[in-house]
Amino acid sequence: MSNRTLTFNIFRFDPYRPEVAPYMQSFSVEELDGMTVFVALNKIRETEDTAIKFDFVCRASICGSCAMLINGRPQLACKTLTRNLPKKITLMPLPVFKLIGDLSVDTGAWFRHLSLKTKSWIHTDKAFDPQVLEERMDNQTALDIYEAERCIECGCCIASCATANIMEDFWGAAGINRVARFMIDPRDGRSGKEYFEVIGSEQGAFGCMGLMACDDLCPMELPLQMQLAFVRRKMLGLGFKV
Amino acid sequence: MNSNNTHITDVLIIGAGLAGERVAIEVANHGLKSIILSLIPPRRSHSTAAQGGMQAALGNCAMGQGDSPDIHFQDTVKGSDWGCDQEVARLFCDTAPSAVRQMSHWGVPWNRVVAGKKRLSTGQVVNDDPEYDGLISARDFGGTAKWRTCFTADGTGHTLQYTMDSLVIKLGITMHDRMEAVRLIHDGDHCMGAIVRCLRTGELHTYLAKSTVLATGGYGRLYGASTNAIINEGSGMSLALETGIVPLGNMEAVQFHPTGMVPVWILITEGARGDGGYLLDKNRHRFMPDYEPGKKELASRDVVARRMMQHIRQGYGVDSAYGQHLWLDIRHLGEKHINTNLREIANICRSFAGIDPAKDLIPVRPTQHYSMGGVRTNIDGAAYGLKGLFACGEAACWDLHGFNRLGGNSLAETIVAGLIIGKKIAEYTSGAAQKYTYQIIKDHHANIDQKIKDLISGKDGQENVYALRDQMEQNLMEYVGIFRTAAELQKAVDNLKDIYYRSLKIGLRSDGSGANPELSFALRFPGMVRLALCIAYGALERTESRGSHYREDYPRRDDQNWLNRTLAYWPAGADLPELKYEPVKITEIQPDDRGYGEASVRS
Amino acid sequence: MKLQHLLTKDSKTEFYYEVLELIAGLFLVVFLTLHILFVSTIILGPDVFDALAQGMDAYHLGTIFKSLVIVAFFAHFIVAGRRIPTRVREQGIVWRHAKLLRHPNTWAWVFQVITGMAILVLGAIHIWVVFTNSPTGAMGSAMRVQAGYLWFYIALIPLSFYHAGVGLYRQFVKWGWFPRKPVGYIIIVITLTIIAIGSVALWAFMQLEVS
Repeated sequence: MSNRTLTFNIFRFDPYRPEVAPYMQSFSVEELDGMTVFVALNKIRETEDTAIKFDFVCRASICGSCAMLINGRPQLACKTLTRNLPKKITLMPLPVFKLIGDLSVDTGAWFRHLSLKTKSWIHTDKAFDPQVLEERMDNQTALDIYEAERCIECGCCIASCATANIMEDFWGAAGINRVARFMIDPRDGRSGKEYFEVIGSEQGAFGCMGLMACDDLCPMELPLQMQLAFVRRKMLGLGFKV
Repeated sequence: MNSNNTHITDVLIIGAGLAGERVAIEVANHGLKSIILSLIPPRRSHSTAAQGGMQAALGNCAMGQGDSPDIHFQDTVKGSDWGCDQEVARLFCDTAPSAVRQMSHWGVPWNRVVAGKKRLSTGQVVNDDPEYDGLISARDFGGTAKWRTCFTADGTGHTLQYTMDSLVIKLGITMHDRMEAVRLIHDGDHCMGAIVRCLRTGELHTYLAKSTVLATGGYGRLYGASTNAIINEGSGMSLALETGIVPLGNMEAVQFHPTGMVPVWILITEGARGDGGYLLDKNRHRFMPDYEPGKKELASRDVVARRMMQHIRQGYGVDSAYGQHLWLDIRHLGEKHINTNLREIANICRSFAGIDPAKDLIPVRPTQHYSMGGVRTNIDGAAYGLKGLFACGEAACWDLHGFNRLGGNSLAETIVAGLIIGKKIAEYTSGAAQKYTYQIIKDHHANIDQKIKDLISGKDGQENVYALRDQMEQNLMEYVGIFRTAAELQKAVDNLKDIYYRSLKIGLRSDGSGANPELSFALRFPGMVRLALCIAYGALERTESRGSHYREDYPRRDDQNWLNRTLAYWPAGADLPELKYEPVKITEIQPDDRGYGEASVRS
Repeated sequence: MKLQHLLTKDSKTEFYYEVLELIAGLFLVVFLTLHILFVSTIILGPDVFDALAQGMDAYHLGTIFKSLVIVAFFAHFIVAGRRIPTRVREQGIVWRHAKLLRHPNTWAWVFQVITGMAILVLGAIHIWVVFTNSPTGAMGSAMRVQAGYLWFYIALIPLSFYHAGVGLYRQFVKWGWFPRKPVGYIIIVITLTIIAIGSVALWAFMQLEVS
């Protein structure tokens, strides 16, 4: 393959220096075989501008650190191959989340807040007894829970959601999917009424307008449409009951 | 020094992976306060990347019938090539089953036994007893006599970490993420906490605690080709080593995972071979049965990795632009199995190599994967040398793994050690007092402050930290890899010494203001070179082969002279570690043949 | 929680809104479809059209439908309209967001909001005109179309059915009764067919000799 010279236009801003207005800075990078945006960004940092901020951890699409807007679309930079992109590549931080600097945003704090608000842990009165066998569970149930738990909290669904962009406290697909994970877990003792209080609201299941950017852009290919609809139908049933 | 940036707590936990969070939960259950520091949001920790599973002798699935902690213990000791502490291994194996059940109680969706007959990829037909239906199942992993590795599809580490973190949130444990500990505060006798740099603002903070726990994971990123996350730079080990008092244990014991994908070095989990994958050479020949007729692809990791390199050296490697490699073949497992149980592998192959493992072969080569060595602790997790300092998980040399770790034992270690050591920390902390003087804090603070100023001003020199890192990586890759010789190790030690001196003369390219990433790295780097020197020098001095440490000039295990553990100290102002040795505790099984790998000498 | 949030919090408000949105929306789609099909009987001739109109009037179906439609029309405006970005800042964000994302369903929604606004005006005019020209007859309608309302309907028909099609699709998506890709294709085909029938009906009105 003939190697191209790529131009990266990168969003620069330091919230601790608000007097410097945000701007786009461009860098040239010689493309290599199998190059990802991860490789390119590190090259830029190591050879061009050592102050540029971005987040990577696992660089293997497992940890969810590196989501950013690549040519406008939220994607994991670690698994975005440059060969699938045009010569001009624009990188911006994810919207909705608090800016830390340049391409780095605080998805961690956002998701921690979400976990707190949705009480994302197993609610049970039973105490653990190390001497007793584990409670049995149907394997299919375990797989279904895992299907929802696969979310890596990268924030792509939130960034791509029009509602989340204008409504600050909307939990988005990640939040609703999170609640679905606990709803199908037989170990969680919360009643339907409690779930309705948590998620039967504008911030939760009913805030979704069905634009499905989350479903189309989830890097983990979670079945978000079906999870959102599952929770919504559950809330419909509960709404008439409680 | 800013007094607003001072935080006082009972237990300071550095690292929010599985080990750190498990300690925090245990400590909280004892009514103590703790603060967890993490470089990144906790759910992004490298623990989440462990796809394969966690070993615990439950014996629920058909192929695990008859399993017991005794057999787990034997596998672990053999795997370690008799380098582990048998008292620790025993405690670990006995505790692992209840630790797995506890994680189930907290919410991990472990895969469960499904009763009925099924045909394995080997052709063998097994029957899962209805009596065990719905209990936690297990899969096959290298170096184990029974199927013992509990798992959740392809995301065991992920579900464990998410469940553990959900508990941390539920218990209201304080979490300060994007914080990097840059120096331990101590007076040569007691550890009192740490000086910490905020990765949001670049400000320095002071954390004071009765106990400090290092749970920072491994040092994989010292090597150029590693399966580890880019944050795994051995920072906890560096902090401990820098004290000059706390030793690191067995730093020369570096595990290479047989199947890192070429050329991005992302891990293809052992589950691929556990579920029946083959290794093929350039002639598409399945070569592992030729070397290891018993365990084939599922001998312990050190053995498989060496057999692969041996096969490549004999001219059977596949040529590529990134050097020679071999093939991993999982096509015969079927599309359905690959896309559910091994989905993560399928995704990685598609995204990073553009191949479909249901149809194509996966290019693999042994890749740096795990650090058996680390901060040397006793069985209670207490570091040698400083009171109030503990270590746990991959950052520690507790010493469960000796010279080679079994797949599935690291994930298990984080949780089991977190539980056991957490309890011991709680006991210690309950009886301890906050102990610090203003002067000591001020001195440690000033030390870091000065370093930062010097790096920014370029007063000590203008060395480029990234260029130095490339050289360090190169030296470790070329001279301190799978096959080692005195001549090459000597070369590595000499070169690394030179790199170390140059690392003390780093000057920044940028202005270093705020949470500048170059400054963060420059602060960390000299410590990384010190670790590299501990690895290379330890390997040079150990004139035998044991577990993953393989000396071509000393190809046999030598129990007469080397049935011991290396302790590396870094005295102030030194340019090489000072090595001491301590005996390995043998309580149950005397050194013997492992049953796989190159035969050892019996002493 | 803040005081005003606490005092206005009724955990079921949103639930009722959603149910109402679903019912009113589906009703309007069904009505709109039947309406255009009935009007399109003009293609079969003015006699068929008049017979149908008179048949409906005989059972007061027209009046019942008309009042229901007015209620549904405004209920839908209030309920569905609560999601419309109203502040200038919000509109700016949505516009920028849609342009960055280049995501078809997001653009579909942006245009649905725009068409909704247009329909609010045009639909109200239409309802007013039809009500003040009771009873409905082929000749009266043809006169109206030929007197210049042609352009009005050329705008209103595609706007309404675009709006209805996207709305129906989004309801299916939100409630997840069917997989979304096939539902999308089916709705596109039906919408285009109906717009075609409507256009032929308009042509038929234009061809009618008004006495």
